[in-house]
Amino acid sequence: MFGPTRALSGVDLSLEAGLVTVVEGPNGSGKSTLLDILSLLSRPTRGSLHFGKFDAWRSRASLRGSLGVLAHAAMLYPDLSGRENLELFARMYRVDLKRVAEFGERFDATGFWQRPVRTYSRGQLQRVALARALVHSPRLILLDEPSTGLDVRATEQLVVAVQAERARGAIVALITHDQPLIERLADRRVRLVRGRVEQIDASSRASGQT
Amino acid sequence: MSTWSAAMLVFRKDLRIELRSGEILITSGFFALLVAVMTSLSFYLDDVTSRRVAPGVLWISIAFSGVLAMGRSFQRERDHDVMRALLLSPLPRPGIFFGKMLGILAFLTLVEALLIPVVAILYRLDLWATWHTLSLLVLLGTIGFAAAGTLFAAMGVRTRTKELVLSVVLFPLVSPALLAGVVSCREVLGGASLGEVLDWVRVLVAFDLVLLVFGALLFGPLTSE
Repeated sequence: MFGPTRALSGVDLSLEAGLVTVVEGPNGSGKSTLLDILSLLSRPTRGSLHFGKFDAWRSRASLRGSLGVLAHAAMLYPDLSGRENLELFARMYRVDLKRVAEFGERFDATGFWQRPVRTYSRGQLQRVALARALVHSPRLILLDEPSTGLDVRATEQLVVAVQAERARGAIVALITHDQPLIERLADRRVRLVRGRVEQIDASSRASGQT
Repeated sequence: MSTWSAAMLVFRKDLRIELRSGEILITSGFFALLVAVMTSLSFYLDDVTSRRVAPGVLWISIAFSGVLAMGRSFQRERDHDVMRALLLSPLPRPGIFFGKMLGILAFLTLVEALLIPVVAILYRLDLWATWHTLSLLVLLGTIGFAAAGTLFAAMGVRTRTKELVLSVVLFPLVSPALLAGVVSCREVLGGASLGEVLDWVRVLVAFDLVLLVFGALLFGPLTSE
């Protein structure tokens, strides 16, 4: 609820390990609220959220380390370099710093990541932000419009990264309007309209039609 | 991760950014000195007036430059919505609170280290015998001020009220610490010993403890949901 407005209502949804669930819907349909609830930043006024057998809200302190979130904003310190940002977040998640170098290579960021983040282009920012969201091998990955600002090569790296996370067994929820990306990655498609789940489909990719 | 480790991680990050940009120290330091100089020009200062006016000038400078420092410190979390990343992380909320508070406290202490001698020169105060008691009182007042300011500045990041919360709620809340600071510093500059202002020290310590405990407990609920 946002004041008198009901942002989500009657949402009954399960996200499964090893599958990419795409959440679609027009602006104002409740996608961002759903993302806030799934990322344990907002508590639903009614209903429950479970992560495996755990009540997610009650266990939120211990579950936070299992979440990887890429949102509209990059969530990186502009005055630190990309590398310093990744090292900072790696320390927060108690990840070996060797993984930072590995992710720098994986997202082709080593050529620019010594510069302060405020000097980055949108595409560079998004690549480092994606590395930040994935560096700790999260079990639940929430990606909100991850292809924004990415060129063809970077989009390909994104697709490969999400496929690798899916193969690892992560639960991936992808909020996007990018149809080519949806067609390449979606195992399931959920459509939100005015805060309600209107439709859940196994995608054409999952049903083997592509 | 323990609360202490989380606090150190956040504190070191703020320190690194500040060493690189100098933004908080330069802006709040300059502002504090400007207030001190402007007020010194506004009064006809004999020795008695100096001792009476200087504590007020000192604390007004600390309060205003402190609000500036708090706002700038949390602007770093507001840019690119990094506060969200901190809240998404497994860092214990009290650790984030103490880390941000330590950063603000360190920056304000450095500003005060510059401000106190300048106020002493402008107001012709002899601090030789009183500097240690005065420093203790200023430090105690600053701890509570930084704790309350950290809590409300963090609220401003998530609620989009920004400096409004900081200015409207912070000053009434910290007024006991500011008043205790002003009165105790006035007494010390008037010749009182530490023993004679011990009641004020107790007030400041109690105030600090309450704000540190409540700040650590409330930081999570007030920045989430």
